[in-house]
Amino acid sequence: MSDKRAKDRLDGPRDPDLLERITDRNPSRLGVGRAGSRPRTDTLLEFRADHGIARDAVLTNVDEGFIEETGLVKIGTLIEDTEEYLARPDRGREISAETAEYLREHCEEGPEVQLVVADGLSSSAVEANVPDLLPILLDGLADRDLRVGTPVFVEYGRVDVMDAIGEELDADCCVILIGERPGLASAESLSAYLVYGPERGGPTAKKSVISNIHQGGLPPVEAGAQLVDLIAEMCERERSGIDLREDDREFVTD
Amino acid sequence: MSEHRLTSVGIDVGTTTTQVVVSELEVREPAGAGKLEIVSREIRYRGTIHETPLSGPETVDIDAVARIVEDELAAARVEPSGIETGAVIVTGETARKDNAEALVHRIASEGGEFVAAAAGPALEAVLAGQGSGAATRAKERGEIVANADVGGGTTNVALFDADGVRDTRCLDVGGRLVRFDSEGAITGVSEAIRGLADDLGVDLEPGTEPSTEDLDRLAGAMADCVIDAITGPPFSDRTASLAIGSLPTDPIEVDGVAFTGGVGRLVHGDPTDPFEYADLGPTLAAAIRERAAELPLLDLDETIRATVVGAGTRTTELSGRTVEVDESLLPLRNLPAMGVGDLPEEDLETRLEGVIGEATERYGPDEPVVLAIDDVGPLTYDRLTRVAAAIDTVWTADGGGRPLLVLTRQNCAKALGQALRRRSDGRPLAVIDEVGVADGEYLDIGRPLDGGETVPVVVKTLAF
Ligand code: B12
Repeated sequence: MSDKRAKDRLDGPRDPDLLERITDRNPSRLGVGRAGSRPRTDTLLEFRADHGIARDAVLTNVDEGFIEETGLVKIGTLIEDTEEYLARPDRGREISAETAEYLREHCEEGPEVQLVVADGLSSSAVEANVPDLLPILLDGLADRDLRVGTPVFVEYGRVDVMDAIGEELDADCCVILIGERPGLASAESLSAYLVYGPERGGPTAKKSVISNIHQGGLPPVEAGAQLVDLIAEMCERERSGIDLREDDREFVTD
Repeated sequence: MSEHRLTSVGIDVGTTTTQVVVSELEVREPAGAGKLEIVSREIRYRGTIHETPLSGPETVDIDAVARIVEDELAAARVEPSGIETGAVIVTGETARKDNAEALVHRIASEGGEFVAAAAGPALEAVLAGQGSGAATRAKERGEIVANADVGGGTTNVALFDADGVRDTRCLDVGGRLVRFDSEGAITGVSEAIRGLADDLGVDLEPGTEPSTEDLDRLAGAMADCVIDAITGPPFSDRTASLAIGSLPTDPIEVDGVAFTGGVGRLVHGDPTDPFEYADLGPTLAAAIRERAAELPLLDLDETIRATVVGAGTRTTELSGRTVEVDESLLPLRNLPAMGVGDLPEEDLETRLEGVIGEATERYGPDEPVVLAIDDVGPLTYDRLTRVAAAIDTVWTADGGGRPLLVLTRQNCAKALGQALRRRSDGRPLAVIDEVGVADGEYLDIGRPLDGGETVPVVVKTLAF
């Protein structure tokens, strides 16, 4: 989006180089000028357009063809539609008994690593990043001789649905690639949340996260490679989240 | 890891003086940076200014320099084993002495595990401007700031803008090029200045006592070239004839000028006894001062110590946060960089073969080199797989003696590194990202900072 914004700069700045250095620093709406006390028409339209993109990312669904091509087993949560998804995060974390049954039928049970992809709050993030991230991740996990289960796609999923899936499939470790809540700078940002020993109701402190995955942030290929190392470390040390970084923290007693 | 401090040493063995500083670099991840950066630099110890010990006209007394360094580190209360990074730089005429190379390598290896050996007038110019504060001023104000480091043997000018170094201009002009005894009779003249003296009709016969007028004329002509080097291009023929390396061709207007170095310091000060240092320094400084009255002069933080402060605080860069390295390879020192530029879309092998062939020609077969890639192309799975396969093919055809050492500007070291490792059959490997290096520069790579993968990197020139 920032290249689109480039035209929308102050007219006749005294020091264009300086302005460019400031506006290049981050994708915020800097140096966009004003019309009286209001934003200029261009700026306002762009803001609306970006907002529209963010809303679309939340409100649209991941393309069926994409899920099939990627070879993911598709399931749902307890959620019926987008409205309910937004209103009831709790129902986005759970799967029905039938879905659990379906999972066990179609997926390998007891894997060392269970991979889950979920739309979360941005279906665009999934479509934009998963095609480059997933193959790097699968290559890397194969190099480490880790037994990877059947990758699953969850529609209307929240982060903690990974606990339900991991528990049902009896996975040692579960990883979910999920669309982040979109901002006005990027609607294509993905996160990976990881947990060792997934169980329903487990504390967030036991989860690890790598966020801001998109071409303008942490590139999806590099994120995939980082996840390989992190997953290998989790499996080796049999822990995740804060427990994994325990030795980094200094506790002062007495 | 949220915060880390690195103890860094800077050692400058110049034409006239040898100096040591010890500093502390604070490493942190600034909000939104996505990688660790050096966020502050504090000088912990400023050494005394020593005369560079010579054991003959063309040789530096390496043992004596080593003793100076040892004594200074003891005075600073740091053990060599506690020094984590830094640089030894030989500057000015010292860089041309017969044993300069042996000198830097010895001092670097004794200085601490990851202390780089560096030399070269362009690097010296940049370090002086970074040490003086000229670079920071240019960045903070968005101005063009020139730092003219006038030392005993050379004058090195660096121009900075808000983005960093704009260009450098280096001349064979310095205070020690003519040396006197206590009576004012000439004891030594450097080759570099003979042409100019002949041109001016100034007789510099050793043992004779030149007239004040002759010395003023000589120093005046040298000073003209210094000013010309700052305000050009265009440059006079005389400046061009004294230039070391090439001079830039695009004119730039400077907003501020700072003088550093032993002679540069005297430019800022009051006139002194012309023979105080038994050389041409004070006379040259006076001539520059006179001519610099028209320039926008700046009084910055460091003058005589600018280069050593730059060497101690500005040489270390940090890689991206995630890299792929065999730690057993580290630290790696004095690796020549082979610039690959942007990788082409097709025919990667042909380009890489060319680069490896060139490496063999320049440095010999099986000598380790770093493949420095500016742009690998789009960061997609297919592209990285393709690039890894091409590098592996070309390396294998090359005979397999060289470790796989790759540097990229884009954040993709771990992905490329894993893809390479898969193909490379156990060959030692290091892939590092978010560092830029140009063809022909050299690289030192240190061990990861604790608790992470970020490695310190020193990019430098070695002009031997
Ligand atoms: C919304 C949000 C929150 C909300 C979550 C509320 C909710 N129920 O949705 C609140 C305000 C509670 C929150 C809290 C925290 N957050 Co928060 N959060 C975000 C944000 C802005 C969006 C997340 C998102 O889109 N999730 C996707 C949707 C679909 O997930 P969800 O199932 O609806 O919600 C779950 C996740 O959001 C998750 N979650 C949210 N934050 C964090 C942080 C960690 C470490 C973990 C494991 C999980 C987690 O918990 C929710 C409930 O299960 C991200 C920014 C980003 N770029 O992703 C930061 C972000 C994930 N949070 C972050 C942090 C540090 C925290 C806190 C540790 C802050 C603190 N110091 O207390 C806490 C920890 C949470 C906990 N222990 O439960 C960091 C993580 C940095 C990192 N790489 O480790 C991020 C990336 C922000 C940042 N750039 O610094 N967060």
